[in-house]
Amino acid sequence: MKRYGEHRFPGKLFVVEGIDGSGKSTQLVLLHQWLKAEGYGVVFSEWNSSPLVRNITKRGKKKHMLTPATFCLIHATDFADRMERNIIPLLKAGAVVLCDRYIYTAFARDVVRGMDPKWVREIYSFAPKPTVTFYFRVPLEVAMKRLINGRNGFKFYEAGMDLELSQDAEESFHMFQGRIIEEYEKMVPEFEITVVDATQPVEAEQAQMRQLVKSKLAQAKRLRVAP
Amino acid sequence: MRETYGVVLPGMSLADLTGKLIVIEGTDGVGRSTQIDLLKPWLEQQGRAVVDTGLTRSALAGKGIKQAKEGHTLGPLTLSLFYSTDFTDRLESEIVPALRAGFVVLTDRYIYSLMARAMLRGLDVSWLRNAYSFALKPDAVFYLRIGVDDLIPRVVFSRGFDYWESGMDLHPSEDMYESFRKYQTALLARFEELAKEYNFEVIDASADVSTIFRHLRDGIARVLSGEPQEPLFGVEPPKDVPETAGEKKTVEMPPSRKAAASEENEQRNKENVAS
Repeated sequence: MKRYGEHRFPGKLFVVEGIDGSGKSTQLVLLHQWLKAEGYGVVFSEWNSSPLVRNITKRGKKKHMLTPATFCLIHATDFADRMERNIIPLLKAGAVVLCDRYIYTAFARDVVRGMDPKWVREIYSFAPKPTVTFYFRVPLEVAMKRLINGRNGFKFYEAGMDLELSQDAEESFHMFQGRIIEEYEKMVPEFEITVVDATQPVEAEQAQMRQLVKSKLAQAKRLRVAP
Repeated sequence: MRETYGVVLPGMSLADLTGKLIVIEGTDGVGRSTQIDLLKPWLEQQGRAVVDTGLTRSALAGKGIKQAKEGHTLGPLTLSLFYSTDFTDRLESEIVPALRAGFVVLTDRYIYSLMARAMLRGLDVSWLRNAYSFALKPDAVFYLRIGVDDLIPRVVFSRGFDYWESGMDLHPSEDMYESFRKYQTALLARFEELAKEYNFEVIDASADVSTIFRHLRDGIARVLSGEPQEPLFGVEPPKDVPETAGEKKTVEMPPSRKAAASEENEQRNKENVAS
């Protein structure tokens, strides 16, 4: 059983992390387009998207059945399924894999929900270490403003309503995300995460990402996929 | 106070878990559920409230695991974490509340089966120990021990070989018989290691149903006798259990006792009405 940092793959793994409204998904979509155009065999994987598991998570969330422990474990199950069936084989084959959220999302959320930090890190210790992890650092107020314009209301777990911080969803979301940011900040040095100033214009952030990704791919053999 | 094997889950108070947690462990087809079906009424006869639980019975993940296993595409980590989700849901929403209410919780397998299976599929013992370190330490673990030669006929003449219990995901090129033998032999060896590490009480499961039941009953009575509460009735197996030759035949509850029991029930009903 290989642990974090012990895997040796020809493929490359790039990860984006950050709170909702930080703009990380937009940036990953742009990176994906660029890599495809450059001719790389590139695959995109989203948090909580395993076909075997995600409906269970969805139902558990809808019915408010999830405790901090089961919330953690069902997401770990989803992640493990994507790793075992999809991401690890792709990395072995030499693909470029892009992940929208990775183990650091779990570390932040689960620890805020009261799970033991060491325990959660050990649970996810089977995850390969990313080539680069980009953390989109954004002040909470900026992210909130982006989100409130774009959607109506917050979902129960998304706003951390299970923590009973506040009866008001918007206020709860605010408090919950504030704590998530604190956890992310602790992880930046712990996991050698690359910080992106997410208050910049979209193009500036993308340019920073492409430059770093390019330098990492320069050393890699390019996996050509048939058009 | 009750303990876990390491970490404590958020919101789970370990104080006042006054019930008893009793684990029945053993491999597939060894007769665990038969025994639990006998133990439950026996405990209830003595006035003990009983909750029984077992793998894949959680409201959250039980159905999902069964569906996913149909596809035969689960990797070892996914399988292990899926079972862990199921276990945790039952621990938090079934086992702990029942222990808090003073129930006897009979569980058909516990973390040990999950660990043994996962070890065979290549997961590290240290990873598994951590993953299940929030589990409550049970009051007793009864391990139904059987050799693979005694196990095979039981499985063949009952429901036949199951894909996963035969380890077909590990030896896909083998026929099911060979794979079952290989897999169960390895699994039983893991159980022996766990038996030492976690102090299982070992029961010879090659014996007949009633002998195994008697051993379990005596063991459980011992665990329960630490409590001040007096049993309502004597410790007798239910009448439909055939006893082995040479053993005293179990008779139906004596009429005097039956009368006493129904009187007590009536008395209790009256009290309930009064209050």
